[in-house]
Amino acid sequence: MLPQIALHDPVFRAYFWIVLISLVIGGGVLGFLRFVLKNETASMFKTYWSWILIAGIGFIVVFLGRIPTIVGVTFLAIYAFKEFARASGLHRDSWMTNAVYAAIVTVGIASLVSDPRGGEQGTGWYGFFVAVPAFAIALILLIPILRNRARGELQRISLAIIGFVYIGWMFGHLGFMANSRNAYGFICYIIFAAGLTDVAAFTFGKIFGRHALRREISPNKTWEGALGALGVAMVLPWVLRFSFPFFGAWQLILTGLIVGIGGQLGDLSISVIKRDIGTKDMAATIPGHGGILDRIDSLVYAAPLFMHMTGYYYPLR
Amino acid sequence: MKKWPYDSVRDVDQAPVDRLRQFPREPDMLVSALRSLGALIIRGLLHVYNHFEIIGQQNLRTNRSLVIVANHCSHIDTLCLLAALPLRKLHSAFPAAASDYFFQSVPRLWTAAILVNAMPFARQGGIRQSLSLCRELLGHPGTILIIFPEGTRSVTGEVGEFKSGIGALVAGRDIAVVPCFINGSFQAWPKGKRFPRPRKIRLTVGTPRNYRDRGTDKIDICAIAAELRDTVIELGPANGSH
Repeated sequence: MLPQIALHDPVFRAYFWIVLISLVIGGGVLGFLRFVLKNETASMFKTYWSWILIAGIGFIVVFLGRIPTIVGVTFLAIYAFKEFARASGLHRDSWMTNAVYAAIVTVGIASLVSDPRGGEQGTGWYGFFVAVPAFAIALILLIPILRNRARGELQRISLAIIGFVYIGWMFGHLGFMANSRNAYGFICYIIFAAGLTDVAAFTFGKIFGRHALRREISPNKTWEGALGALGVAMVLPWVLRFSFPFFGAWQLILTGLIVGIGGQLGDLSISVIKRDIGTKDMAATIPGHGGILDRIDSLVYAAPLFMHMTGYYYPLR
Repeated sequence: MKKWPYDSVRDVDQAPVDRLRQFPREPDMLVSALRSLGALIIRGLLHVYNHFEIIGQQNLRTNRSLVIVANHCSHIDTLCLLAALPLRKLHSAFPAAASDYFFQSVPRLWTAAILVNAMPFARQGGIRQSLSLCRELLGHPGTILIIFPEGTRSVTGEVGEFKSGIGALVAGRDIAVVPCFINGSFQAWPKGKRFPRPRKIRLTVGTPRNYRDRGTDKIDICAIAAELRDTVIELGPANGSH
């Protein structure tokens, strides 16, 4: 992954046009709703402008190459964890939050460096990357012992561990995929598919939504929206097969399931956390989307599953 | 199993810019880091560009809460007073800044909230609330309030009348008040000029005073304000202390 390679890479260029066309179509539909059907679309437009910004920044970072992508994912993970810590109150314990920040940076470093025992340059240190949670949990458990404190510590330990493993490490897989030979295909596909599935769930839910999916967790999600999104996610790998030309039918089906079901489960998982804490969004960082964490929730769940599924069938490099 | 209590920050549903408008602000590592970095740069610049000199810095060495009171003719004044404090005190030092001037436009808001750690102070209306916020802050040990009792920057370089609010804040309370005189900031960066000029600035820190046994009625309050003004002026160059 380098800028000069990205310019000539057919997959990267294809995604550039696909995303551009999708945004134009989305804008056209919104414009039709607003100016022809006179619907109330102000909040949807806010979301739409933010999508354009997200797509722009995402493309620039992936275009710049492997290191900016991994660094970008690390920063995103740090910020997403910060939102989680602020919403859950872990923010007030600077020892725990700093330990998790350090662990997230370690995930980034493990993705950047190569295996010191003769790994090829620019391939990441897979063994350490997979082992980081063990060390991170050891560090987190060490903190109350060092501070000689027990009261309320189980809650802090739990919040720190879920914060690191789920938001820091699992999302960090997106960065590690930049080490793959097929990085453009994997990264562009997973981000685009997760985004499109979200939009599909929203759209199908809006048009056909009747039956609440999980009333106690997220009252606005419906079975109709979820099944519509799953349908889109199952078809998408076949349509965008050029992203991973070596995938067989079985891998394409698994990819569809991971994004279609996993992505929505990620969304619901964050909703469970928000519901218990009692906030609507994790933060208000992106207008029309909520916090960073509200935006990347489906990627957090789907990216690691996708990477390890691929890693099972093919060498990750 | 009982529900865990989650101690969420108060501004969880606010956009990043609106979080800066809030006061007291929730501590934020990124903001603190930027503030410390900015303070280091400002200290360096003051020394190189303005030959900044501090006399009586030992008067600021305390872990108790302080009110620093000084004359005001330039934005540089705040930076000078902050530069006289130890770096670790930076995040509990709050210069009172006019909320109508510093907390509206976004660039000023960034400077006030991130760099200076300013406390929004209502100049019109709401003065009572602002003063009670000051008292609440001073209740936490180690808080430093920086107040310019003239209420605005002097356009002549002379020290204007002190508003009686400063008297109301400290009368009858066990709060240390440190008078300071800043000399040269008017020449360095007067009101209305775009950029500061390389003129020497000297900060004189007086000995702490206490108004614990004074009454809180109008006459006493005005008397304290006038006394403080005299003390500040006495620290100045006209009285031959340099």
